[in-house]
Amino acid sequence: MDVKIKLYPYEKLKEDGIKDMLHDLKKNTIIMIDAKLKPDEEAKLIEETMKNISTNFSGIELDSLDLTASDENDTVLKKIKTQILEFLTGKKRGLTLIGPADIIKKIEKKPDDLLLHMR
Amino acid sequence: MVTKHLKNLHNRLKSFLGKLFKRNKEIKLGLYGPPNSGKSTLANTICMDWLGKELSTTSEIPHETREIQTKENVIIENNGKKLTFSVVDTPGIATKIDFEDFLKGGLKRPEAKERAKEATKGVIESIKWLDKMDAVLVILDATKDPINQVNITILGNLEARGIPVLIIANKLDLKESSATAIRSAFPQYEVIGISAKEKHNTEQLYQKLFEVL
Ligand SMILES: Nc1nc2c(ncn2[C@@H]2O[C@H](COP(=O)(O)OP(=O)(O)OP(=O)(O)O)[C@@H](O)[C@H]2O)c(=O)[nH]1
Ligand SMILES: [Mg+2]
Repeated sequence: MDVKIKLYPYEKLKEDGIKDMLHDLKKNTIIMIDAKLKPDEEAKLIEETMKNISTNFSGIELDSLDLTASDENDTVLKKIKTQILEFLTGKKRGLTLIGPADIIKKIEKKPDDLLLHMR
Repeated sequence: MVTKHLKNLHNRLKSFLGKLFKRNKEIKLGLYGPPNSGKSTLANTICMDWLGKELSTTSEIPHETREIQTKENVIIENNGKKLTFSVVDTPGIATKIDFEDFLKGGLKRPEAKERAKEATKGVIESIKWLDKMDAVLVILDATKDPINQVNITILGNLEARGIPVLIIANKLDLKESSATAIRSAFPQYEVIGISAKEKHNTEQLYQKLFEVL
């Protein structure tokens, strides 16, 4: 099987929408995005996935790292910096990995990275 | 001139009716979570305890609930205070629909295909209904790894909408369950450990409902 990996700049996702991504996902393509998706984008992605499910496409595996998630030790300054950056770029710092569930067994989330297990 | 007046009147009437309806509208308590976590079992426990009848069917096969189930006028009482709301049991949210699960559950291929189709519609319906909820119980199976994208997506969407959330760590009657794992995965949320099936610790849940609704 011919599996491809596509790197998607978050900015492109915003322009072309999630439908394009599903087109790729249905063709054995794994997608990496250089940001954490916002909650409404994740919800939209799940909705679009559901609309596309068939006997040939059982859905997606999806996981992400959120590099802006704050923990107790963060200074107030760091939190403010994160928020200003997010406001200016319109982008949540992080990574997203999405793949067709028919070729990916699971995505393992170590605290600091994502590990893709193929079928 | 006259049309402008009429339009104005029309708008005022609409806003008045809107407020009237809102006041009469019942508070909706949504039960959300991944498939098979025990949402319908908990909905049944709540409805049984306070109404004497069940709401949903439950099953060990995922995607048993494929349409929203609502029970209105559930009234719970605690320390002389009363709380009236609707219980909204939702289809489990997933990023994939495992056709094989239905076959393993004993369905024939055409039935399994139909079931999968219904399941996809159920997931979409659950997501669409998020906006209508006044408060949500996110029910998680405490025997499973809580750090899962579906859980994160559900919680993120509720937070973005400003909807109050309680996380329910369910199935605590099972040996391999861990409420602690859920608490450390989502430290910013209140987590209540229960067994919806064995009706353990539901009293604490009912008390907490007075705080979030
Ligand atoms: N041991 C144990 N099993 C439970 C508990 N709650 C639910 N279950 C079982 O878990 C399975 C799924 O329960 P449901 O209530 O149907 O789950 P659901 O979240 O409504 O699932 P969907 O409708 O498919 O999204 C059933 O076999 C239940 O009997 C619990 O507290 N303890
Ligand atoms: Mg159910």
